[in-house]
Amino acid sequence: MDDLIKLVRTYRVTAGLAERLRLAEAIFRQIEPDLRFFVFNAIQPPAAEDVLQEILKSTAASLKNFRGDTLPAFRSWFYTIARNRLNDHFRKKTNDRLQPMPNDEILDLVDASEQAEPMTAADRHDLEYALKLLDGSKPECRGYLWNHYVIGFDYGEIAEEQNLNYDNVRMKIGRCLEEAKSLVA
Amino acid sequence: MPNQNTDAEAALQKLGHRVRLGWAKKHSISDKSLESVKNTVREQWEQEQTASRASKPTPSPEKDRGPKPPEPEP
Repeated sequence: MDDLIKLVRTYRVTAGLAERLRLAEAIFRQIEPDLRFFVFNAIQPPAAEDVLQEILKSTAASLKNFRGDTLPAFRSWFYTIARNRLNDHFRKKTNDRLQPMPNDEILDLVDASEQAEPMTAADRHDLEYALKLLDGSKPECRGYLWNHYVIGFDYGEIAEEQNLNYDNVRMKIGRCLEEAKSLVA
Repeated sequence: MPNQNTDAEAALQKLGHRVRLGWAKKHSISDKSLESVKNTVREQWEQEQTASRASKPTPSPEKDRGPKPPEPEP
């Protein structure tokens, strides 16, 4: 993702269609899997694909208007678009909210990650511990821990999503982590 | 004061990294997504071209007319 922000900056000042298409493809090859993961973790599959396409169109249409210069700012920007489209969907279809990802699916993804990065026995041990932490958490806490550590949202992004302030989210996640640790110990 | 949650945090961060990595391995960008993006970029580019053409001042009819043809000889 190191070159992502360079691609975005170049896209902003590019006038020619062919070059814009090339840059857009390079940018979206990097961010589409993240957006897909976010959406498919929140909505039932039949609707998730449609919402993902709406998010991609909105993001592509606004790409030239993004004024930030850092990767975190870009991530925050495109996830805000994604959350807005997701909330539009939930206003129409509340029942489409998805249950947390089951452990066998999580383990399936962990196994798939080994193709890119081999895993040590210590890694396996840590991952089992992390799954126990999630399993031991109450649903609300599991949601916070999942969004922060697994999806990768920072406190500010979660605060925006939940209509809370930054410190409130930071303390909630800290408390959830403490609680999960005490239950697993 | 050292963070008491460091081990738990590190384990969860490792899980997040692995899950996202595994997801990206299993779900590279789909053709449908790529087409959506490219169509949007094309449409936006065409709108910009149209807007740019519309904003250029249209030549005044006086200038367009060019020099007056000479009067016919009596």
